[in-house]
Amino acid sequence: MQHPYKILVVDDEPDLEPLMLQRMRRHIQAGHYTFLFAKNGLDALERLNQDKDIDMVISDINMPKMDGLTLLGRIHEINPHIPSIVISAYDDMKNIRTAMNRGAFDFVTKPLDFGDLHLTIDRTLTHLREWREALASHDNLLTLQNELNVAGKIQQSILPTRFHETSDYQIVGQMDPARNLGGDFFDVLHLQNGRIGLVIADVSDKGVPAALFMMCSRTLIKSAAIGNRGPGDVLCTVNNLLCDDNDVAMFVTVLYAVYDPKNGELTYANGGHNAPLIVHADGRSTLIPMTGGIALGVMPDLQYGQETVTLSPGDILMLYTDGVTEAMNDEDQQFGIERLHEIFAASPPKDSQECNTMVFEAVKAFAGDTPQSDDITCLTFHRKEAET
Amino acid sequence: MGIHIEWKDEVLIAKADGRIDGTNAQEFQRELETAVDTSTHAMILDLEHVSYISSAGLRVILLTAKSLLKKDAKFAVCSLSAQIREVFEISGFDKIIAVHASQTEAIAALKN
Repeated sequence: MQHPYKILVVDDEPDLEPLMLQRMRRHIQAGHYTFLFAKNGLDALERLNQDKDIDMVISDINMPKMDGLTLLGRIHEINPHIPSIVISAYDDMKNIRTAMNRGAFDFVTKPLDFGDLHLTIDRTLTHLREWREALASHDNLLTLQNELNVAGKIQQSILPTRFHETSDYQIVGQMDPARNLGGDFFDVLHLQNGRIGLVIADVSDKGVPAALFMMCSRTLIKSAAIGNRGPGDVLCTVNNLLCDDNDVAMFVTVLYAVYDPKNGELTYANGGHNAPLIVHADGRSTLIPMTGGIALGVMPDLQYGQETVTLSPGDILMLYTDGVTEAMNDEDQQFGIERLHEIFAASPPKDSQECNTMVFEAVKAFAGDTPQSDDITCLTFHRKEAET
Repeated sequence: MGIHIEWKDEVLIAKADGRIDGTNAQEFQRELETAVDTSTHAMILDLEHVSYISSAGLRVILLTAKSLLKKDAKFAVCSLSAQIREVFEISGFDKIIAVHASQTEAIAALKN
């Protein structure tokens, strides 16, 4: 139960204290209020400084040493959250206005009507209680916000940031989340015989549920990819595992590709993800054929077909999420795949880093001030020209 | 985003409009859950006036399809714009959810 509210009454009339205690005795006995009394503004300030538990103040205006209007200003300095009720002479609008302007919550007039005073006190305390609840919610929100920021950092930290580079290839990946927690991710896996696994994925929705599903998907893909299994097989296994107990119908679109440096072959399987682009050295870009797979987590026991293409020396493979192609501008247009073809044709990127930078800058320039509504992710793999 | 519900030949038709994304997917889900509860044996989601659907919206459609499947009711979507049809095709949703060109076609298919 709420402890009794502590109310400081400030008045130079000696009669007020016994009268107040007598007229409010039922509320005091019921444990609603307790009263403290001060003789003037200075006395009241001293009480407020000594006793930090005082919840509200009821003050007369005309008093020796320090008047009620001055007191109101000073209370605000001690604790701006303590509400005050002023007692004014009947018809003294000028002082009432001044009191309200200095932050008084309400006023009552003399001669005191204790029934009205009781209602006014209760209204003030209700306001105080709601205000305190709002402050507490605000604090909880800040804590939650802080936790989300930390979770976002953890999520970013599991994405690869340093990429293995050989004389044959270069890899660069980047994810810009729309909120603290994203649903996109990418991964680079080092498989047997120098083969490289490239993963790009997009979990339905964003926020905490997406982040949890993303962590789970990433780990499953990583473990299923170990060994010599084909991409189609890997997606099939991960899909079945994700479908177990997936009552919330979360799903993830995944493109998983394995590059073999022996012959430049890229074998891939697609689970409902956007088709990657190959950007050729001359700036032409083409979408690689889709394999017709369904997003993972939707339905168990699905087969995932796979395809193989050969990357020529100089080719750049660009894996991306729909945050790139569905980025909106202020005219409600989508960035689209055509713009990607155009920017690469206009200025063929010479390596992965340049390709990634071009994409992020083009999307940013296109979107302008339109807020980013989806995570934007790009994982770019460049098969280098043979050194001569 | 808004949803308008009507009945045609004992088929419940939910007609959505506007953008369906992470900001209103919960509302979309509530509206469709109510529709699923009242729908007896067949429901059509008409997407003609939907300009954009994100993965959060697709998830709600998947949930709807699953709950209807559980109560042995039929489900189809219809009247997809080229952009939304593409979203369905890329994600593979067109393989697990019946997609029809028009309401009339969808009603005819569900009544069979």
